[in-house]
Amino acid sequence: MGLGLLTSRTLKSSRILHSQYSRFRPIVTKPKLQSPDASSAAAAAPQPETTPSPPKKPVGGARIHFTNPDDVIEVFVDGFPVKIPKGMTVLQACEIAGVDIPRFCYHSRLSIAGNCRMCLVEVEKSPKPVASCAMPALPGMKIKTDTPLAKKAREGVMEFLLMNHPLDCPICDQGGECDLQDQSMAFGSDRGRFTEMKRSVVDKNLGPLVKTVMTRCIQCTRCVRFATEVAGVQDLGMLGRGSGEEIGTYVEKLMTSELSGNVIDICPVGALTSKPFAFKARNWELKGTETIDVTDAVGSNIRIDSRGPEVMRILPRLNEDINEEWISDKTRFCYDGLKRQRLNDPMIRGADGRFKAVSWRDALAVVAEVALHVKPEEIVGIAGQLSDAESMMALKDLLNRMGSNNVWCEGTGTNPSADLRYRYLMNSSIAGLEKADVFLLVGTQPRYEAAMINARIRKTVRASNAKVGYIGPPADFNYDYQHLGVGPKTLLEIAEGRHSFCSAILNAKNPAIIVGSGLFEREDKDAIFYAAETIAKNGNVIRPDWNGFNVLLLSAAQAAALDLGLVPESSSSIESAKFLYIMGADDVNLDKVPADAFVVYQGHHGDRSVYRANVILPSAAYSEKEGTYENTEGRTQQTLPAVPTVGDARDDWKIIRALSEVSRICLPYDTLLSLRSRMRTVAPNLLHVDEIEPATFGPSLSIDCTQEINLTPFKAAVENFYMTNSVTRASKIMAQCSAMLLKE
Amino acid sequence: MLSRLASQRLIEVRQAFRLSAQVYRSFSTALNYHIDGPDNNPDLPWEFSEANKAKVKGILSHYPSNYKQSGVIPLLDLAQQQHGGWLPVSAMNAVAKVVGVAPIRVYEVATFYSMFNRSKVGKYHLLVCGTTPCMICGSREIEGALLKHLGVERNEVTKDGLFSVGEMECMGSCVNAPMIAVADYTNGSEGYTYNYYEDVTTQRVVEIVEMLRRGEKPPVGTQNPKRIMSGPEGGNTTLLSDPKPPACRDLDAC
Amino acid sequence: MATTVVKSALQAIRERGLRTFLRELKDDGFTFVVPLSSFLLKCFFDGNLLFPVSALEPSSEIILGILSSLLFISSFDGNLIGWSRQTKIHNIGATVVGVDKFGNKYYEKLGDTQAGRHRWVEYAKKDRYDASQVPPEWHGWLHFITDHTGDEASLALTKFALQNLRLSTCLKDLHILVLQLLMLKPKRYGVEHKENLSGKGNEFIYHSKGHALNPGQRDWTRYQSWQPTKAE
Repeated sequence: MGLGLLTSRTLKSSRILHSQYSRFRPIVTKPKLQSPDASSAAAAAPQPETTPSPPKKPVGGARIHFTNPDDVIEVFVDGFPVKIPKGMTVLQACEIAGVDIPRFCYHSRLSIAGNCRMCLVEVEKSPKPVASCAMPALPGMKIKTDTPLAKKAREGVMEFLLMNHPLDCPICDQGGECDLQDQSMAFGSDRGRFTEMKRSVVDKNLGPLVKTVMTRCIQCTRCVRFATEVAGVQDLGMLGRGSGEEIGTYVEKLMTSELSGNVIDICPVGALTSKPFAFKARNWELKGTETIDVTDAVGSNIRIDSRGPEVMRILPRLNEDINEEWISDKTRFCYDGLKRQRLNDPMIRGADGRFKAVSWRDALAVVAEVALHVKPEEIVGIAGQLSDAESMMALKDLLNRMGSNNVWCEGTGTNPSADLRYRYLMNSSIAGLEKADVFLLVGTQPRYEAAMINARIRKTVRASNAKVGYIGPPADFNYDYQHLGVGPKTLLEIAEGRHSFCSAILNAKNPAIIVGSGLFEREDKDAIFYAAETIAKNGNVIRPDWNGFNVLLLSAAQAAALDLGLVPESSSSIESAKFLYIMGADDVNLDKVPADAFVVYQGHHGDRSVYRANVILPSAAYSEKEGTYENTEGRTQQTLPAVPTVGDARDDWKIIRALSEVSRICLPYDTLLSLRSRMRTVAPNLLHVDEIEPATFGPSLSIDCTQEINLTPFKAAVENFYMTNSVTRASKIMAQCSAMLLKE
Repeated sequence: MLSRLASQRLIEVRQAFRLSAQVYRSFSTALNYHIDGPDNNPDLPWEFSEANKAKVKGILSHYPSNYKQSGVIPLLDLAQQQHGGWLPVSAMNAVAKVVGVAPIRVYEVATFYSMFNRSKVGKYHLLVCGTTPCMICGSREIEGALLKHLGVERNEVTKDGLFSVGEMECMGSCVNAPMIAVADYTNGSEGYTYNYYEDVTTQRVVEIVEMLRRGEKPPVGTQNPKRIMSGPEGGNTTLLSDPKPPACRDLDAC
Repeated sequence: MATTVVKSALQAIRERGLRTFLRELKDDGFTFVVPLSSFLLKCFFDGNLLFPVSALEPSSEIILGILSSLLFISSFDGNLIGWSRQTKIHNIGATVVGVDKFGNKYYEKLGDTQAGRHRWVEYAKKDRYDASQVPPEWHGWLHFITDHTGDEASLALTKFALQNLRLSTCLKDLHILVLQLLMLKPKRYGVEHKENLSGKGNEFIYHSKGHALNPGQRDWTRYQSWQPTKAE
C-alpha cells in the first residue's frame, strides 16, 4: 500500500515535469492516434495507479433491478467497480457505471443485432475490441472505454459508416437530432480517406407517414427489428449483401402498422423521417411541452413540439407504465387536425338558419336566457370524449344547479355502472398485463381501440407465449389468437364451462379478461358483464395478488366522467330534451333530439354535432389547455398548454363558469385550483397526478343479474382506427391514412 | 509562367474528373427490389411439382419441426431448379408458406445469395467470376466480350432465350483464372449442371458460346491446350524429383 | 421606445428652440410647407402608418399636430419604429457619421441609447429601401464588425493598395500584386455594389416575409377556421 502510494506519487511528479516540457512542443492533433506505434506504446506503458473516480450517474436514468441476490456480479468499468445482475451486456454495465457508449444498432427495447460495431470497447485479456452490446458481462471483467484502442476502433467504424453516408445534413430533417451527427462529432475522426463514389439507393414508399431517403441508411436494422418485434408487421427486411445491402420491402408494400411512426424515432439517421413534418421546421426552433395524449383512453405521454402558435409535431415521452417509448400513429400524426376546422368565434344560428359570429357576451346571454326558461328536467348535458375532468365537473355542477341531473359522457351508455369502479377500469394496469399468461378479449379489438395496449399484449405474447382468445367480429391482430366466437353465445359457453377455452383459463397462473367498452352501448350490458364476472369467478381471475378483470375504455374522458358521476337520471332524457348542452360530443346520436330543442355546442372543432347547434361556443383543444385526464387504468394525468388557443376560444370550464354567472347561478370557483378542490370532494383520486387509484371493491359486491342476454353478435367499437374523434376527423393526414392503409 | 502552371493544373483536374467518371461499382446480387413483370409478379400461381413435393418433405425432415425456416436455402434451390434456373417472386412466396415465415424473410435470403437468380435467365446462364484473382486476370474484359457478342446487358436474356450473363463470386479455381461457370438448364430441373470453363480468353468465351448454341459440349476445365488441369503450362517446373524425407534424427544412433 | 422618442423631441425643442428644431427636421427631409394631413396621407399610402387620417384635421398649428401624432405613435408599441420617417425623429440628437455614394446617411448616437441600437442607417430612397442598399464598406461599421466608418475603410484600403502597388511594381512581384488587388474590397471584382433585386415585389426589391413593404404574407393565421356556410 505504502509502496504503491509512493510510486504513484513519483510518477505523478514526473508527469508534472513532463508537462512542463510539453509546453514547448508544437500542438499536434491527437498525437497518439497519428501513429499506431505510439498508441500501442502508450497502452503498453504502465499506467499510473489512479484512485477510482467518483461514481457517475447512470446514463439516461438506467436502473438496475436485482431479482436474485445470488446473481450479482461485479465488473470494472474504467477501473471503477460496478455491481450488475448476471446476464447484462457489457454496454448495459457501462451505462450503469455512467459511461455512455456510442451505438447505432443497439436499442434497449429491441433484440440485439450487433451489426453496427460502433459500441466497440476494450476488454482486458481480449485480443480484439469487443462489441459491447452483444457481449455478456462476465464476473471481474475489466472494461476500458476510453483507451486509445477503443477510440481508434470507434473512429474506424465511424469512417466506414460515413463512407456511404451522403453529406446532405443541411437538407436532412434529422439534422440537429441525428445520432450519426452527434456521434461523429463526439467519437469520429476529423477526416476520411474515402475517395470513390458514394452509393445511392432507391427510396421506398412506406405510406403517407414515413418518408424514406434510403441513401442515408446505415443498415442498423433497428426499423426491421421494430417492425418484426414490436409492430408485428413483417414487411421490412435487409436485402442484398455487402455494400449493396439495403433496407426494403422487396415487393412494393406500404407499412400498414398503427405503430409505424415509431420507426421515425428509432432511426438513428435521416433515412426514415416524418412525411407530414418534412421540411416544416428544425428541431432546435421548436418548443417542447410535456403533456398527455387524449386520442384514446391510454393516455400516452407525449411531447408537443410547437413553433409559435402552431403545433409542429408530436413525439412520445418515456413512461414505462403506459406507453414505454412508443405512441400510435393516431397520436403522433393527428396534430394537423388541430389546425383545421377550428371554431374560433361564438356563433348564433339566426332565424334564416345561418350562423353568425357574435361576441361572447351576446352568445352567453342567449344561452342563459333559454336555459332559464326551460323546465329543469328538460335540460340535458353531454360531455365529449376529449373533455377534461375539470370541465366535466363544472358542467355537472352547472346543470345540477339548474335542477337537472341528466348529464353524461358519450360512449359510456345510458346506464353506466359508475358505482362499481372495477367495472370500468383496467384493474391489472397496463404494465401489469405483462404478467398475464392467458388473455380473453371480449368484444374488444385492442389493436384499433388502444394500440399501445395491443403492443403490450403482443409483447407478452412474444415473451411468454401467452394464449389469446377473442370473442368478437373477425379481426386481424398482429399476434396469434384463437377466434372463439362472434357474440355473447360463446361468452355464455365459457361462463358455463362448456367451452374448450375454459381449461386454458383454469390452468393459467394469471389469466386476464379484457372487456371492451363498446359493450357499454348494448342494452344487455349488465348481463354480459355478469357473464364475464362469472368467468372471472370460476377462473380465479381476481385474487388478492392479481386482478385480471379489465375493461378497456375507448376515450380519454370516460374514466374521469364515471369517477365524477356523470350518469344520466333517465335513459331516454335526450328524447324529451328542450335544452341540450353538448360539450364536444360528436359521436352521440342527435337524431332523437326534438326539433324544437335548443342545442348549445361547446367545442373546438366543427365536426358532426355542430350542424345541429343553435349556439356555438368555441373552446380550447387538448394542446391548448391545462386539464386532468384519467386513463383506462385509473391513472390521473394532466395536460399542459403547448400553444395558445385559436381566435376567441376559451377553456371549457371557463365558458361554463361564465355562463353560470350570466344565468345568475354563480358556480363557487373561479380558478383552476378552486375547481380542483371542488373535484376533490367528488373524486379525490383526480388530484393525485400520475398515480393509479385502484378499484376498492371487486365483483363480490355486484348483485346477481337477472337480465336476459341478447345473442346478437358483438360489433367492432372502432370502425376506422385513424378517425375516432373530432381532431382526427379534421386531420388531412389521418384522412390520407385511412384512404391508403385501411384499403389494404 | 503562371499561365503554364495554371494550364497544367487544369489538365490535372480534368484527369481527376475523368478518372472518377470511369469508376463504377458492380453488385453481383442485381436489383434489391422487385419489379412487376408479366412473367414475374406475386399474382402468378406457383407451386412445387408433385415430384418436388416429396423432396420438400425430405428436406424439411432434416430440421426440427419448430425450426422449419432452416430449410429455406435448399428449398429455394429446389424451386429455382423447378422454374428453369430462376426464382419468380411467387416461388419465393411459396417457399415462405412451406417454411412458415413471412415472405420478407425469404426475400432476404434470396437477395443475399447471388446464386439465386431473381430475374429470368437463359437456358445457358453464363456466370463470370468477378472476384479479385479473376478480375486481375481480366474477367471484366471477358464479361465485356460476352455482353458484346450476345448483345445484351448483364442479367438480361437474349432474344432466343438461350443465354444470359451474370456475375458469380469466387468458385475456387483461381489458379486457372479467369474462369466462367455455365449453368446449363437445357435438360430441365433433373439434369441441370454447372460447367466450369477455366483459363478463358475473350476469343475463347465467344467460341464456347457458339459451341453451346450449336448444341455441342465444349470440354470443361482449362481452355489452355498447354495446361493439364491446374498444372503449369508446359509441364512441371517444381517438384521434379522425389521429395526429400523430412529431417529426422538418426534413431538407430541412440 | 416611442415615449423616449417623444421625450427626446421635446428635449431638443427645449434645448435648441422650436425654430432650430423645425429647421433640423426640414434639413432631414421633412417639408413642412405641405399641410400635415397630406404628409400623413402620404405616409398612409406607404402602408406604414396605419392610424386614421380623419383623426387629424389640417391645422396651422403644425407643432401641435406633430406632438399629437407623436403621442398617438407612442400609444402604439414598438412596431412603428422601423419605419423610415420614424428614424427621422429618432435621428434627433444623433450625429451623422457619414454619407455613402448612394446617399444613405449613417447615424450614431452614444450615451443613453441601448447597446446594439446606437448605429443606424437612413436610406436615400425613402419609399423603397432594403438592407442590401448598404455598400460593403459601410456594412462592417453598421453591423458593429468594425469601428472604421465606410469612408475610412475605402480610403485606407485604397491608400494601402496604392502604396503596395508602387512597392510591388518595384519588386516586380506578381504574386503580392494579385493579393493586394484582391484586398481592394469595395471593388473586389471590379463591379460597383448593387442592391439585391431578386425579390418579387415592387421593382424586384427583396422584402422578407412580414416586412412592412412586402405586399404578401400579411396573414399570420396558422389555422383554418370552420366555415358555417358549408352545410353537410
